[in-house]
Amino acid sequence: MAMRCKRCRGQAVMEVRRHNAAFCRDCFFHYVGQQVTRAIAKYRMLGHTDRVLVAVSGGKDSLALWDLLLGLGYQADGLYLSLGIGAYSERSKGVCEEFAAARGARLLVHDLAAEHGYTIPEAAGGTGRSSCGVCGLSKRYVFNKAALDGGYDVVCTGHNLDDEAAVLFANTLRWETGAMARQFPVLEATRPGLVKKVKPLYRVAERETAAYCVLKGIDYVVEECPLVAGNTQMRHKETLNQMEEAAPGTKHSFLFGYLERAAGLLKVADDAELTECARCGMTTQAPEDPAAEAVCAFCRSKARLVKTLPVVKVTSG
Amino acid sequence: MLVTARLRPPDRVVEVADVRRVADLLVRLEVLPGAVLVIREGALLTSQDELRDGDQVEVRFAISGGSGGLKPRPPVNGGG
Repeated sequence: MAMRCKRCRGQAVMEVRRHNAAFCRDCFFHYVGQQVTRAIAKYRMLGHTDRVLVAVSGGKDSLALWDLLLGLGYQADGLYLSLGIGAYSERSKGVCEEFAAARGARLLVHDLAAEHGYTIPEAAGGTGRSSCGVCGLSKRYVFNKAALDGGYDVVCTGHNLDDEAAVLFANTLRWETGAMARQFPVLEATRPGLVKKVKPLYRVAERETAAYCVLKGIDYVVEECPLVAGNTQMRHKETLNQMEEAAPGTKHSFLFGYLERAAGLLKVADDAELTECARCGMTTQAPEDPAAEAVCAFCRSKARLVKTLPVVKVTSG
Repeated sequence: MLVTARLRPPDRVVEVADVRRVADLLVRLEVLPGAVLVIREGALLTSQDELRDGDQVEVRFAISGGSGGLKPRPPVNGGG
C-alpha cells in the first residue's frame, strides 16, 4: 500500500524516517522550508535587509539552499569558486551559472588558479594537507575575502545535518574540544576581517536536500568529486548511516543534543586568540610564541606550494 | 518480472528479477534506504511503492561519499 502524506493524507513521495513521517511533494517543500525558517530564526542567522552570499558548488545542498533563500525573499547572491578539478569543475560551474541565469540571480565566480596560482589537484600533496584539507582551507579563505570585498553581511554554506553530525563525530572521537566549541550553526563576525557564517540547512538531512532538488527540477552535479575517495568524513558518514538505519533519529539526537546541552559547556575550550595575518591582513590564530610572525594557514600553504609548483601566471588577486 | 536499476554515482546498471516493492529492490542491491533516492520517470518513489515488470529506475546515492551497495560480487541477475 502506498504511503500517505502526514500532513494532507495525499500520496507520499518522500519518507522522513527520523520524524516518522512521509510527505507529498508540496508538503515536503513546506517541511523543508519550515526547517530552514526555524534554523534562521533560532540563531538569528539572517535578516531580510542583509546582503547574503551563498557559497555554491553545483551540488545538491548549496543549490537547494540558494533556491530556498531566494524563495524566502532574501537578497542572496551566489559565489562559485573554481577549484581546477578538470571536467568536474567545469560541469559544476556550468550548473551554477544555469541555476543563476534561470532565476535572474547574481553569481560571482572566483578561480583559484587565476587568483592564487594553484589548483586543488596540484595542491594535494604539495602543501602537506590532503586534497580535502587544502580545498576546505582555500574555500574558507576565498569565501570570507570575497564577502568582505563585496560588502556582504553574511556567508551561507550548505552544510546539512549529515555533514554536521559527521564532523561532530570526528571531533568527538579525537576530543578536539576547541573545534567542537566552534562547531555551531552560526559563527559571528567577532572582529574586523571576519564575515558572519551561517548554516541554514543544519536541520535538513542530506537525502532531503537531494529530494528537494529532484522534486524542484534543480539540475545538480550528482557525480562525486574525483578527489574525495577515501575521505575520512565519508567513512564517518557511512558509519553514522548504519546506525541511523538501525535507529532512525540517531544523527539528529547526536547533533541536536550536542547543540542544546553540550556546546555551551565547551565554550571555554575555544581559547584561540585571533590576530591579523602579517602577509595578507586577514584574520588568523595568533601564534603561541608572541615573538613569531603571525601567518595564516592559507598563506603558509600557498608559500609551500610556490616552492613545489612550476611558475604560473597569476592574473589577479 | 525484471527491473533495471541504474545506480549512481558511480554509474552502473544492473537488472534485478522478482522484486515487488522498492524496499525489496534496495535489499537485493544491498543499499541502505536512508542513503538513496529511487526515481522512476522523474518521480520519487517511497520504499513501499510497487514496481512493475520492465521498470527502469534510478537509484541515486544522496549521501556525499555514501556510494555503497553492490559489494563486489556477480550482478543480481535472474533469480527464481
